[in-house]
Parts: sequence; C-alpha cells; structure tokens
Amino acid sequence: MSIDARNHDDAETFDGSGDGTGDEENKSRIARWADDWIQNPEKAYAVMLVFLGGVLLTTSLFPLYWLFNVSMAPPGQTDIPLLPTTIDLSVFIQVFQQVPFARFMFNSLFYAFTVTVFVLLVGSLAGYAFGRLEFRGKTPLLFSLLVLSFFPPATLFIPLFRAFNQQVPMLGLFTLPVEIYGTPGAVVTPLSAFTMPLAIFILTTFYGQIPDGLEDAARVEGTTRLGALFRVIMPLSAPGVATAGILTFITVYTEFFFSFLMTGNSAAEWAPVVDGVIAFQTQYTVRYDLQAAASLIAIVPVAILVVVAQDKIISGLTQGALKE
Amino acid sequence: MSGGSDGVLTGLATWTENLSEQAYAYLLLVPAFLVLLLFAFWPLASAIRMSFFADVLTGGQLGEFSGITNYVQLLTNTNALAPAAFVDPSFQTPVLEQALFMTILFAVLSVTGETLLGFLYAMLMKAEYKGRRLVRLLIILPWAIPIVIQGMIFFLLFRPGYGLLTEPLQQLGIFSNLPLNTTFDSFVIVTVADIWKTSAFMALLILAGLESVNQDLYEVADVMGASRWQRFRYITFPLVFPVLMVAMLFRTMGALRVYGIIESTTVGCSTVPSMTCLVTQFMFGSATLYGSAAAVSVLIAIVVGLFIMVYLGFIRRSNQSLGLA
Repeated sequence: MSIDARNHDDAETFDGSGDGTGDEENKSRIARWADDWIQNPEKAYAVMLVFLGGVLLTTSLFPLYWLFNVSMAPPGQTDIPLLPTTIDLSVFIQVFQQVPFARFMFNSLFYAFTVTVFVLLVGSLAGYAFGRLEFRGKTPLLFSLLVLSFFPPATLFIPLFRAFNQQVPMLGLFTLPVEIYGTPGAVVTPLSAFTMPLAIFILTTFYGQIPDGLEDAARVEGTTRLGALFRVIMPLSAPGVATAGILTFITVYTEFFFSFLMTGNSAAEWAPVVDGVIAFQTQYTVRYDLQAAASLIAIVPVAILVVVAQDKIISGLTQGALKE
Repeated sequence: MSGGSDGVLTGLATWTENLSEQAYAYLLLVPAFLVLLLFAFWPLASAIRMSFFADVLTGGQLGEFSGITNYVQLLTNTNALAPAAFVDPSFQTPVLEQALFMTILFAVLSVTGETLLGFLYAMLMKAEYKGRRLVRLLIILPWAIPIVIQGMIFFLLFRPGYGLLTEPLQQLGIFSNLPLNTTFDSFVIVTVADIWKTSAFMALLILAGLESVNQDLYEVADVMGASRWQRFRYITFPLVFPVLMVAMLFRTMGALRVYGIIESTTVGCSTVPSMTCLVTQFMFGSATLYGSAAAVSVLIAIVVGLFIMVYLGFIRRSNQSLGLA
C-alpha cells in the first residue's frame, strides 16, 4: 500500500494531453500504457494515486475556492454563484483600510509563535524524559496529560479568568502580583498549557523511536546529556518536531475562545485575528465578501510556515544513520 | 572560563551529568508540569469544586455548597433551567441523553472518516513526484481556516433558498429545504465540515510517522522478496501505529468535545446539541449557572475518560499482537 514512486518517471501521467494526432496513435499509446502497467504494476498504482489525489484535492479545495468566490461577490449579496461574476481584487485592500487587520494578524502571530517555541522547548524536555528514560510514576504522569483533554476547555475559563483578574489566588496560595487579564500573558499561558499534552505525546513517540546507539555515540564523544537531546535526538526526530510545531502553531493562531475572552475587542487590546475577521460583522450588516477576503489573507502566514516547515518532514533516519 | 555565567552553566551541566536517570527525568519534567499545574490542573480542580455548589442565576457567583445536587438534577433531568434541545419533538428524552447520543455518533463518524482520509492524504504527501510541495500545502491549508470562517463557508453553501448546495440536495431528496434547522441535515453538514477540516491534522501526523520509518527496512524487505502487502503489514503499519494511535486518541477527545463548528455554521445547539454545547449554554446562557456547567463538564470528562480507556485497552492488545513493547 505504501506508494513508492521514487524509482519511476511518471511524467506522462501528468501531461496526458500530449501530441496525440490520430486515433491510431492514441490506440497504440493506450496499448503501450497497458503493457507498461502490466509489466510494472507500480506504475498503475501511481496512476491510481494521481487520480485519487485529484478527486481528494478537488473536494478538499472546493471550500477554499468557495471562499474566494464569496470574497468576489458584491457587498450584501448572499446568493453566491458557482463562478464569480466579476473579479475585483480591491476587497483585499479594503480589509486593511476598514479595520487594523495587520495588527490583528500580528497579535495572533505573536501568540502562535511564542506558544510554539515555548511548547516545543519545554515539551521536548518532557518528551525526552517520557520517551527515553525510565522512572517511577511514568504511566500515571503520562495519563494525567490525557485527563486534561477529557474536559471541555470552557471549563477552565472561569477559574483562570478570576485568577488573572486578581479576584482569587492562584492554586489558592498566591494572588498574581499584576493583573494579566487583557495582556498577551493571559492568552499565551493557558494556550501553552492546553497545547502541551498533544505536543508531549507526539515528541515522546518520536524521541522514543531513536535507537539508543546513536545517543550513546554522541555521549561517548563528550556531548552533555542536554546536548544529546538538542544535537542528536531532536534533529533525528525532525519530522515529529516539525509536525508538533505546525500543529501547535495553527491551533493557537486560529484559536478563538480564550484569545477572545481574555483580551479586549480592539486590535490594540491584543484581540486575535479571528476578532479581526468578525469585525466586518456589525449588528445590522455582515460583509461576507470582506470576511472571506480577510480569512484568505489570514491563511497566508500559515501557508508560508507550512512551506518552510514541511521540508523538515522528510525521513530523518537516512541511510547509514542506523547501523545497530 | 571568562564570565561568571559560564561557570554557573558548567556547574549546572556537571550537576545534571551526575544525577541518576530517575532524578534527571523528574528534572526534565519540572518545567512542563509547572505550567500545567498553574494553568490547567489547578483551574480544573477549581472547576470540579464548583460543580458541588449551587447555581446563582445572575452576577456570575457561586451559591451554597450543595453536594451532588447538580449531578442529581442533571442525571434525572430535573434541572428546570437546563437548555432545551429540539431533536426529540416530544421533549421526552432528557437533554443529557440526546447530547450523549449525538456526540458519540459524531465522534465515531468523524474520527473514522478523518483517519481513512488522513491515511490517503498522508500517502499522497509521502509519494515523490513533481509538485509534491504544493500538494502538501493544499492538503494542510483547510486546517488553517479558523472555525468561524469554516462555519461561514458552510452556512453560505447551505443557506435556505440561496445556498449553492441547498437546492440540488433537496431535489435529490437528501436534505430538506431548511438544512441548517433540521437535525439530520445539520448533523451531516457538521460532520462533513469537521472531516473536511480535520483530515489534515490526521494526515500530517501520519505523514510524520511514515517519514520516520527507516528506509533501510524497505531495502531489507525487498531483498527478502516481500510483497507490497507484506511491506505494509510488517514494516509500515507497525512503525506508524504508535503515532496513528496518538493522532486518533487526540482526535477522538477533540470530537467528543465538539462545539465550535456547531455554533459557527449557525446550526446551533438546539438542533445538534453536543455535550460541550450544554456547558456553554449553562455558563454563558441567559443565566450564568456555573455550578451546573461545571457538573456537566465533569460528566463529559467521565464519558470521554471511559471512551479513552477502551482505546488504551485496544492499543495495549494490538501492541502485543504486533509484537511491540
């Protein structure tokens, strides 16, 4: 089932509209394909994969296309046709003129970046301990991470809200020295805690798969314990680290509940990007076109991140790395 | 050694070098668990405590200590202020029961769909061909769309009268003319919307698992004349299994807490009442019933916990049958 198209040049499946000038030629071409596929079943798999991929991508991309379509519709129109009647890209500029959308985006990017760096760092330490070390209480501690995810996040809101407003002492022990409600800290701290369990589980799984031999070799060469984690284990688990990073970043960037309720409503009060998108919705009108355009703009930073980070999601254990 | 900080760092490094494995493990866990204690475990404990106090309708306060009254009222459907759900037109079925049924059905369908689609996507992202970077990006992008916008997309598609898909689906006899107000139609829309968005999450994690499989193993398999199926069964699947389980575990927990997509598609909690819907309705509804909201959360956690236990038991069994630790 694992499709391995590496060794085959399937270029012809991508530019099917070649130079076919007549039926004769087409026929012989099809016959040649058929022969080829029978002899190399791998090629048939590749073609099936391309077909399946096409179907999947179309269904997956349709809502995105639809979003573009909505952004092209005139203001107030909710009867969106399948094809845009006009293409007017000025909506993408209006988004920035009507609300400080860049600031909204900055706020969410700041949250996402801070939480991702923090969670990857702290989660790596914990993932290393869970994945590679033996200690008492390992299973209960891992399980406690899962228990957190049993509860709807809304449950945690009221106690945190009160603590951040200095109304109740944290842990019942100490009142926060400053009110952090309405500051980035009120968003970054709970979101770090909520995204931590998944990140730790991913990192534990990947760090645990690295053979001991590789770490031992680094240790023999004089690397410290912590150095081995950051210089050997993390780079070898690059696919896992990148995946945990992308998942955390996107979760925080698009988060709405805590980032909305823990901050003010305006961009200057650290409201998240989703607040910026729904800012085009007033009591009387909803500018679907601007909302759609704003969402498409908001996706751009994530797209850039995915393009950059996906190069890390390739086999970390290359040939020769593993000689046990 | 020029500066003082160098000396401290070296000292720290030497100190960690000499710790026992167990002590070193605990040291590494301290930062993560400190954050979790302050911003997750402590608020969780306070919420559980809240569930034993009576509701006060206004002012966002807690009433007197009331023991398990909140739980009893919820389980016996005698909480007069509980939100109503219109799934059962006779109003006979307790709202908690309706929510439980809806949520579990949603979780089973969406996680199954997402796992299958995620696996296909992951293989599409793993195979090597021209334009793979673009395909990877396009597969992940739906996941980057905020839930509010995802809701808008589906709202505009299924809007009564005007929505692009409303009429065709109605003519096929699949949907009614008000799909966003009919429980069956809305349930389908919400499930499809969730699968559309979250398959990318599954795909990304499974891809990371596929990429971590040591390629040397495939060469060994080729030398030994393994078939395609054998390669999948004895190399790919066992090695991807742990990360697949992590993905499914977290997706299941996420699906059992479904809420955002129900609100944002304007389907609403009265049409598709999920369990988390009840929490939000108690907490931010016309009255602020913190005690009952907390009690619902605890009940949800118990349901999710039972589900996860079954999962973990299954993982342990399959791990043994796969010959893994």
